[in-house]
Amino acid sequence: MNSPARGAKLPRALRTILIVIGVLVAYVIAYRGSEVDFPRLIGSLGKGGPLMQDFLTPDLVTREIQPVTLQLALPVPCGSAPEGEVPASGPRLVPGVPCAELRDKFTVEGIDLAPNTELQLRWRLPSDQYFPGPFISTDADGHFSAEFEARPIVATKDGVPSKIEVELLVPVGGPKPSAAVFEVLDAIIVTIFMALVSTTAAVVVAVPLSFLAARNITRRGRAGTAIYYITRTTLSVFRSYEPIILATLFAFWVGFGPFAGAIALAIVTVASLGKLYSEAVENIDPGPMEALTATGANRLQVVLYGVVPQIVPDFLSFTIYHWDINVRISTIIGYVGGGGIGYYLAQMINTSQNNKAGTAIWAIVVVVWAMDFLSAEVRKRLA
Amino acid sequence: MLNALASLFLPGLGQFLAGRRTRGLALFGVIAVMLGLIIWAVTPAVGGAEADITFKGNPANWRWLIVPTLLWLWNIWDAASPRPVLIPVIAALIMFYVMGWQATEIDLEALAKNFDRALIILRPMFRPDFLQPKADRLEAWVELEVPCSPTPPAGANTLVGTSLSLSAGCASVGETLTLTAGGLWPDSDAELVWQSPIGDFFALREPGTTQPVITRTDSTGRLATRFVVPKAIPPGIDPNLPQNQRLYVRQSKVTGGYELSTNGFFVLKGIYETIALALMATTLGTLFAIPISFLAARNLMSANALTLGMYVVVRTLLNIVRSIESLIIAIVFVVIVGLGPFAGMLALALHTIAALAKLYSEVIEGIDPGPIEAIRATGATWLQVARYGVVPQIVPPFTAFTIYRWDINVRASTIIGFVGGGGIGFFLVQWINLGDFRAVSASFIAILVVVMAMDVFSARVRERLI
Amino acid sequence: MLEVQHLHKVYPNGTVALTDVNFTVNDGEFLVIIGLSGSGKSTLLRCINRLIDPTAGKILWDGVDVTTAPAGELRRIRRQIGMVFQQFNLVKRSSVLTNVLAGRLGYANPYLSLLGIWPPAERERAQRALTRVGIADKAASRADALSGGQQQRVGIARALMQEPKLILADEPVASLDPVLAHSILQYLEQLNREEKITVICSLHFLDLVHRYATRVVALKDGQVVFTGLPQEIDRARFKEIYGEEAIEVRAGMAES
Repeated sequence: MNSPARGAKLPRALRTILIVIGVLVAYVIAYRGSEVDFPRLIGSLGKGGPLMQDFLTPDLVTREIQPVTLQLALPVPCGSAPEGEVPASGPRLVPGVPCAELRDKFTVEGIDLAPNTELQLRWRLPSDQYFPGPFISTDADGHFSAEFEARPIVATKDGVPSKIEVELLVPVGGPKPSAAVFEVLDAIIVTIFMALVSTTAAVVVAVPLSFLAARNITRRGRAGTAIYYITRTTLSVFRSYEPIILATLFAFWVGFGPFAGAIALAIVTVASLGKLYSEAVENIDPGPMEALTATGANRLQVVLYGVVPQIVPDFLSFTIYHWDINVRISTIIGYVGGGGIGYYLAQMINTSQNNKAGTAIWAIVVVVWAMDFLSAEVRKRLA
Repeated sequence: MLNALASLFLPGLGQFLAGRRTRGLALFGVIAVMLGLIIWAVTPAVGGAEADITFKGNPANWRWLIVPTLLWLWNIWDAASPRPVLIPVIAALIMFYVMGWQATEIDLEALAKNFDRALIILRPMFRPDFLQPKADRLEAWVELEVPCSPTPPAGANTLVGTSLSLSAGCASVGETLTLTAGGLWPDSDAELVWQSPIGDFFALREPGTTQPVITRTDSTGRLATRFVVPKAIPPGIDPNLPQNQRLYVRQSKVTGGYELSTNGFFVLKGIYETIALALMATTLGTLFAIPISFLAARNLMSANALTLGMYVVVRTLLNIVRSIESLIIAIVFVVIVGLGPFAGMLALALHTIAALAKLYSEVIEGIDPGPIEAIRATGATWLQVARYGVVPQIVPPFTAFTIYRWDINVRASTIIGFVGGGGIGFFLVQWINLGDFRAVSASFIAILVVVMAMDVFSARVRERLI
Repeated sequence: MLEVQHLHKVYPNGTVALTDVNFTVNDGEFLVIIGLSGSGKSTLLRCINRLIDPTAGKILWDGVDVTTAPAGELRRIRRQIGMVFQQFNLVKRSSVLTNVLAGRLGYANPYLSLLGIWPPAERERAQRALTRVGIADKAASRADALSGGQQQRVGIARALMQEPKLILADEPVASLDPVLAHSILQYLEQLNREEKITVICSLHFLDLVHRYATRVVALKDGQVVFTGLPQEIDRARFKEIYGEEAIEVRAGMAES
């Protein structure tokens, strides 16, 4: 009595074991196939640091740079001319002694200069000519200290003392948007347009196709059935490819630029929207059509008043949803196809201008976010 | 009337004050965007040359001002008494669309004009390079120097059973030399192939034609032929510097049956990596997304200001990562762990965490609190409440979302190789750049099979779970 | 014995749910709480097993103050108090048997129960509880495959698993049609009479109150406006509790 139950139970346990083994094997194969190497990830995580740092400090603002000369009068010998005054704050030169006798050695300090910068110190002689001094570099606080010697050439002449001089590059004026901001703005507008144009073009093609791919409309008779299956299959085939793959082919055909990306995007969008639309068409409630036919309306009127109102909200909602998706895809499609923010990003990364790449990435985040929000809002209203 | 006046000063204000807030905001936004776009369109690109100006920077774009101006007038009219919105919507769409058409550099002419290039892509597509007839191959080579140096090589080489000799061990580009060979297969065709100093192979062509040089051996397996020394130095290298180059003689004999071609092998390897990294990325992503999703669920995190702050931070991070396509994330990981599927896997996993954690957290937010209350009332501990009240509610939708994400990851992993992230895309992008469209065709078929299979599988499983 | 003393509840958003509620429930009573929706019935029931923490006051369960019980003690109190809900509160995707077993969580080994492992004795107990409410054959079904009346029986079976001394029933029949309402209340009455389980039940319909209650507490705006025997509630009293426009709705004729 018990044996049939037992017999049924055993294969089930066996099946579970087989499934578990199968999953384990699949994971082992997948683990090897994806060349998983976490020690390497952890060991070289530091390599990503500078890159991330550049991305997180995007190139947004710039200030105009102007050369500024700091001067300090140093009479040699003492009393031959008035001593130079040292300002209390700001970038300044501070001498170890207020004046010097011939052949004296003294130090000069620089305070509040640009940090970690190489500078050349020099004398400006009473004759207005230069006499080069030492090369120095400032520390992280913008401070340096240099040795000077009061050579005879720097002696005061006709009551005019020689001056110690250093030329600095100082940012002046308020911050303003950097060139990268404008370049990114250009690229991102082109990206949004790329998505808009390809989505619109795709809608125009997808609407008629969706009726061909709708079971309840097309699948009548042998020819209709054939059309239905051919359309469906074609749509499925093109839906299987990421637009970026097709973009590389079109870049070969029509040349690099947003156009190649837009065509590729349009093709995949046609395939995707065609399917979504056709499902909306298949879900039409025949009730209203029946009712309209019963009132004596003609075929066109039935379609206009019975079918169109049913599908338009769905169609609109799908279209906006796809525009949103297409903006996301356009951000990368330029990476291979040329054009838009993806192309800019590729250029910046290939030339290691990672701060500018950071600007592009943040622009992508903002735009995708905004599109996401807008599309959700509009679809909420349509639903 | 007052509303019309308000709208005269600030588009949409009148509508806003009249309680039609959406329309007011939309009007203001659309007019602002239009004006911004026009200013953008008339400003020349940064660093662009004046000669390049077609659309961007063209002062003719000022004429678009007519649309926002008319819309402004319409907006005043609408503020006075509500008007149907259809015509302004169409006007705005036309403006955006035409500007978009120009900005996207749509050039339908190029589509037709360059149709020959399309044929270069399409023709080989019907002959995917996956299998090839099985054949035995015989290969022999001889080294020579172009142009001549004082000490040229011998111009003869003997390999297992074959011997090749040239009329001279060195020559200049364009000179004609004679090759004599022995020990080849008798009475069969032999192809002459050149190897450049940097290692590229190309078939020697008959002078002035695109026909490859093919000669026939005699009944003793010998051949003698004349050939013109080709220019094989890549640009950038001094052509007067003597370089060793090689001439190959290749023969092949079909033995019947088929075998995997070299590219076919790479297609299989690529598709294997693609599937593998999609599976690993989904698994890894799921493992991390589950705990994170609890932190991103509003109903669990609104207990106090601290947890609410954590919720906001987690949500924001997820949104940021989700906005960045995995392809871009992959660039960073390629820098960190180097080229290969591991980098792609990590990028996909990170994107998966962000996407799944959001979906999961929405499931958690939608949990029915009733059963939880009921199980708390039985005297269950916190863990028991989670196990019997929460887990049964969230596991099926979590599974459905995970499978859905797996499907997406398989698609994404076909392209992650474009930036060096492994998978079929890695080979595909090289084949496209080399113009090897037969191999491209083979990979397209492989991608189609895998993506469609995944599509069907994921749809089936989700149907069952919901 | 359950004593409710000076119970107050103010929600964080300022809603005053209960104001100075006092009453006593003796063992073996079938106490019915009546009142309009929003009068505080659900809050009161949930304060008793502290699914909701009261703002002030005491609830003494056999002399132990529920309101100040520490977590472990509270769980031991809760497992003696079964609860039945208006919306049944079953885990819809779990099987009926799992839902019933969940009632035993307060007694079960905390680790094994997390793995979903239950001793055969507990499974038998669950099966018995299902037999008792007449749906033994549904044990393997998913909870959401059952009708409303059947789901509420699963709810009662889950409460039975706790071997409760007290059952709190929050509008147990408000989501059911009148015939089913009687059958559910009859199960509760049977438990009350045969097993001497005290029942505190909130109800909407006056005829159900007359039929099942041994004592009645009426709430209005969070205050007790009446305590007494069901027979004392006539039309006038009813209007006083439910307001002038209220019409007495009969919950159907099914009467044995």
